[in-house]
Amino acid sequence: MNGRRLAIHAAPALAAGGALAAVPFLLGGSPYGLRIVSLMLILAIYAVAFNLLFGHTRQLFLCVGALAGLGAYASVILVRDMRLSPLLATVLATLGTALLGGFLSYVGVRRGLGVLFVGIITVAVSLIFQNLLLGLREYTNGETGISTRGLGFGLGEAPQRAYYVLLGVLVGALSIYQLLLRSRHGLAFRALEDDELNAELSGIDVTRYKVGTATLASALIGLTGALYADVNGFISPSVFALGHVDIPVLIVLLLGGMRTVLGPVVGAGVFTVVDELVRPFGQLTVLTYGILLMVLFLIFREGVVPLAAQLFLRLGRTLPAGLPPEAEREPEGGVGRSKSAPGG
Amino acid sequence: MTGILLDGLVQGLQLALLSVGVVFVYGLGGVLNLAHGQVAVSGGLVAALLLQNRWPAVLACTVGILFAGFMALLLDQTLLRQAYARRGEERLLLGIILTLGLSFALDGLFTWRYPNLALTLQLGSPYVRIGGIVVRTGSLAVAGLAVAAFLVLLAFLKGTFLGKAIRCIIQNEVGAWLCGVDVHQVRTLTIVLSGLLAGVAAIAQGFFSYLGPEMGTEFTILALIVAVVGGVRSLTGTFLASLMLGMVNAALSYAVGTYATWIVLLAVAASTLLVRPEGLLAYWP
Repeated sequence: MNGRRLAIHAAPALAAGGALAAVPFLLGGSPYGLRIVSLMLILAIYAVAFNLLFGHTRQLFLCVGALAGLGAYASVILVRDMRLSPLLATVLATLGTALLGGFLSYVGVRRGLGVLFVGIITVAVSLIFQNLLLGLREYTNGETGISTRGLGFGLGEAPQRAYYVLLGVLVGALSIYQLLLRSRHGLAFRALEDDELNAELSGIDVTRYKVGTATLASALIGLTGALYADVNGFISPSVFALGHVDIPVLIVLLLGGMRTVLGPVVGAGVFTVVDELVRPFGQLTVLTYGILLMVLFLIFREGVVPLAAQLFLRLGRTLPAGLPPEAEREPEGGVGRSKSAPGG
Repeated sequence: MTGILLDGLVQGLQLALLSVGVVFVYGLGGVLNLAHGQVAVSGGLVAALLLQNRWPAVLACTVGILFAGFMALLLDQTLLRQAYARRGEERLLLGIILTLGLSFALDGLFTWRYPNLALTLQLGSPYVRIGGIVVRTGSLAVAGLAVAAFLVLLAFLKGTFLGKAIRCIIQNEVGAWLCGVDVHQVRTLTIVLSGLLAGVAAIAQGFFSYLGPEMGTEFTILALIVAVVGGVRSLTGTFLASLMLGMVNAALSYAVGTYATWIVLLAVAASTLLVRPEGLLAYWP
């Protein structure tokens, strides 16, 4: 792949990065605002990883929070108790998380578990992780949590730098995602989404693609978890709980649009705004998450980005050529999956 | 130790009330109801609200149980209907995501609206002595409730046409349909039944200790573990798994603490799915 093609493929990621790079200036450097948008970036990175897992390889990993928590706790404990440098600890934590995610995926693929069983097992993993954190009090401080001041890169004290570091990770993740989709992997993904058996029969190594994707996505989640620990200045079991990470990530991805490059970013933006609006009402956030999840999955499965793309295309085509709107009604590459016939 | 195991046994009975609903609904339609615990809690909370308004206890509990059944009906007619309209993996996925969303919505609603509401039911004297063992009257009440509910359930399943139809669908949906069983109607009825049983389980929790608005998730997870270990198509397996899990839960909680107990139970469930996806105890029909 030559430099020019590389630039074209990375364009959406770079454009999004460019737009997001201006956000701190719009906020006027307010620390609270920077914190909110930093958390938004973290959510977007999780959603990019989850998009690879669920959107492209049909692996319903409901343990994003647990994987992120593993990255966070491992990096913090390695620095605190083993006196490793933050960089080395982060690398080790990322690798460890990647191994766990790859292992979970390998077990699921080898045992031929369907989407439901993978969901149940990963929920069980999430809950086991929560109870481990609560039980291993001497390392994790139980539900009190650990203050990470002085145990990382010091991003917690420099909100602006934290924002740009996270933005760098997001743009990197988006570029990798884009490159993956434009390579042979993208073709394999498309075959996998349609029918795994057929993919296997046409010579695609399903195990390799699924496990490889899960490993990559888990590494991304682990790295982001470790960065979150540093940026947030504090970690506790509850910030990595199912309702705190996995459900928001699922909502973000559905909201923005599965199997799209910019879906996770747009979804994270919209979600953050909604979240800020309902936050003052306490438990109302949980209610909102639940309703959002149901409504999105039932009637808005496509997400904002494919919708906007269709609208844009229609506008662009109708204005000069004056084609009737029906002419553009061809579905965008496998977005609204409805291979199952209604009935029953 | 006898006391603990006895308590565990009674807890197992309560767990069975809860899990039968999950197993039924999954067996009949392939939808894993992740909001089952919240349905139970809704019934318990209604009973608690009525008790606060000085209703007689028996009436309040009955209305609570009926309300749980009504919630299940509502769930069936709104969300699950969408899932049943699809087939295969899409149905599984829609079922799990929709009920997951509902469980969060209800959890949020309950803890937001009634943060301090709790159902506690107390009997005249807290302990009685039976054959040299001191037993909590609350436990006795739970055991009585559960056994009565199961007798009614068994009589219904074995003795009536609808009961036979339910067992028939669990074994083979297409076969049942070919024999002239109205699958949709029976499905709806079963979900209402599972809701009623969940309501009884919630009332039982009130006899045990207390039932709070936040306990739905715990209920769901316990029922899920039982369903996985007992096998999602076997009622006997569900029953045995409930009793065993109840006792293991009680004994382990006493010996190694709550967190370790949860880890063991979840690990058992996860490994069951890997080793014997049809359920560890699914030998029995």
